[in-house]
Amino acid sequence: MLGTNWLAKVRMAKLGRALAVCGLLAVAACGGAAGEDDGPVRVSVWAWYPEFKGVVEAFNASHTDIQVDWTNVGTGPDQYAKLKTAFTAGKGAPDVAMVEFQQIPTFVILDALVDMGEHGANEDKDIYAEWAWSQATDGEKVYAIPVDGGPMALMYRKDLFDQHGIPVPTTWAEYADAAAKIKAVDPAAYIASFGSDGGWLNGLMWQAGCRPYGYSQAKAKDEVKINLTAPECEKVVDLYGDMVDKGLMAQDKFFTADATAALDSGKYWTWAAAGWTPGYVAGSLKNTAGKWAVAPMPQWTAGADEQGDWGGSTFTVTKQAKNPKAATTVARELFGRSKAAWDIGLNKAFLYPLVKDVAADPAFTGKAYEFFNGQKVNEIFVPVSEKLGEFQYTPFQDFVFKDLNDRTAEAMSGGREWSTVLEETQKNVVAYAEKQGFKVSR
Amino acid sequence: MTRSMPITAPEAATDPPTPRVPDESRSRRRSRRVTAHPVAGALFVLPFFLVVVAFLIVPLGYAFWLSLSSKSLALGTRFSGVDNYVRAFTDPVLLDGLLRVVLFGLVQIPIMLGIALAGALTLDAVTTKFALAFRLIAFMPYAVPAVVGALMWGFLYSRTFGPFADLPTLVGGDPIDFFSSSLLLLSLGNIVTWAWTGYNMIILYSALQGVPREMYEAAVIDGATPVQIALRVKVPAIKQAISLAAIFTVIGTMQFFTEPAIMARFAPQISAGYTPNLYAYNQAFAYSDFHYSAALSFALGFLVFVVAYAFVFVNRRRGARS
Repeated sequence: MLGTNWLAKVRMAKLGRALAVCGLLAVAACGGAAGEDDGPVRVSVWAWYPEFKGVVEAFNASHTDIQVDWTNVGTGPDQYAKLKTAFTAGKGAPDVAMVEFQQIPTFVILDALVDMGEHGANEDKDIYAEWAWSQATDGEKVYAIPVDGGPMALMYRKDLFDQHGIPVPTTWAEYADAAAKIKAVDPAAYIASFGSDGGWLNGLMWQAGCRPYGYSQAKAKDEVKINLTAPECEKVVDLYGDMVDKGLMAQDKFFTADATAALDSGKYWTWAAAGWTPGYVAGSLKNTAGKWAVAPMPQWTAGADEQGDWGGSTFTVTKQAKNPKAATTVARELFGRSKAAWDIGLNKAFLYPLVKDVAADPAFTGKAYEFFNGQKVNEIFVPVSEKLGEFQYTPFQDFVFKDLNDRTAEAMSGGREWSTVLEETQKNVVAYAEKQGFKVSR
Repeated sequence: MTRSMPITAPEAATDPPTPRVPDESRSRRRSRRVTAHPVAGALFVLPFFLVVVAFLIVPLGYAFWLSLSSKSLALGTRFSGVDNYVRAFTDPVLLDGLLRVVLFGLVQIPIMLGIALAGALTLDAVTTKFALAFRLIAFMPYAVPAVVGALMWGFLYSRTFGPFADLPTLVGGDPIDFFSSSLLLLSLGNIVTWAWTGYNMIILYSALQGVPREMYEAAVIDGATPVQIALRVKVPAIKQAISLAAIFTVIGTMQFFTEPAIMARFAPQISAGYTPNLYAYNQAFAYSDFHYSAALSFALGFLVFVVAYAFVFVNRRRGARS
């Protein structure tokens, strides 16, 4: 609180530094623009991929006409806040920006993204997983080039399940049973945590067949579909809410030190996680490395094969790009089919590739992971990604996820019935959408 | 909150007798020059003036201009006059957040200033080396950046890493969840108290230093006990410093932002509109509605102004009565 002035000072200092850096960049960029004939085009990129430095170096080494200047300005929301400020200001945005799938319509409606279809990006259509390409595009308009995805599967503590003779759940009903059995054998343990993460809950709802949103700017800029109260959506919240109420689910927020420690101490036995999650957490889970395994997601109907996705990201070209054509090349080829880039992406950054060739490569599907005691987990993740169908997002997904998180937080603290969470979110989101000028349908 | 606030009570304004005459003649000479060279005076003011214009007046004016139009995602931007303000003052999320910080302030401010005052009075009464060390230690949390402080407390509150959450289990109770909705405000209040008590203590202590010692002697001769001296002599003597500290604390509380923004990373219970400032931040940087965010900020600024002014007014009235 009282530190706001202090904070303002720090912000000013940062701003000062940023301005100084921008000045330098502007000089560099000016040099590039003025002497286009003699020097390569320089394209600025904002991204927060791990191990991305090597990817940039690989691109710069293999291109003579275009060179990439990369900056990591923050992860996810931190970078989006800067992007949104730059788009509002009319300057300051990079040429190419990393953007997650659920954010693409948000930036499209801000008129911030270049249609890369005009620069030949439609040629890449068949390279990428269909679901990813459909989320990155709107008809013939290509707003983003997919990079990595998050097909979901169940990470579980194989040693503990084996030791206590609890079968690994194949349906969500069995999952709830297992939750009760785990509590019975170890009162301090939980089957998992309800992590208060919009993207995670969204992935679970996706897997349940829930398609709550619909938006296509190409069809109608001001029409949006919101239907969070469909039975397919409600059943996810019902199941998880019931486990939370019974004390079978922990409530630590994902990716906090507490949640990571709980994963590593045997407090959590499972995590319905994404293709990128193992790479993300493996480094922090030293005690339990080798004790985890991956199983396909539990199904809502026994024997079914329904799948969902949590997260994943793309490259977009911003409307402020000085050379949209060169920027499109960067977005398409930073990863694209670059072998050098995917070597780093797969083996160091543990991205899940949305390039079909890379995902189908035996080097990827046949890779054994020490963290999973030698299990070839991509044999599970790859079919999931292939199975994923169409799923759309709203052009105000931040609001939807925040409201959903706030309502589930109320339910976790006992201030709200779980059965009213989606109803209330639906109401708030519809009110917000109408205030923003949308015609809302179900 | 500004660090350069006047920290001496008016009673302290009596300087030790110094040669007055040359002093006054010097100031007369200066004032004559100013009238003779208005340009020179303006030049001296200019740097400060430029900074104020560039970093205060212009941004404020721009934000106010922004707040007068509305942007809807589907329909674009249009001039809307005071619509955003009508919306702000009827927005249940903003009103909930306001109510929350007001409740927070009603509990936290008296506790913090009470401790600060007690500490200052103790420091003033005790003059040992220990007092000097204590003064430094009490001031130290203020030197820790608010973001770092909030992160640190996040770990201290943690059930895995913190020492406090499991304390009740020693006597057979349930572990404490400091991030639960019922304890969250208390947890935040504790961080704020930790960070700012020492700062306020030093302000009050400095004001006490300016109180003429003769007053204490007189009180002692009249037979006052140390406690009576503290409450009946010292506290009234630094009343203005206390109300100044209170005013800045009230303003800071209305602008509550850093701690909840950081703690939101651990605590799902901190909603998008948990405090008015957090709400304004999210409107701008998460929902891209810079116009409504500007209106929220101005509405909040207006409320802060009203509250602060009312506080000063009430204080003056009370001061005039006594």
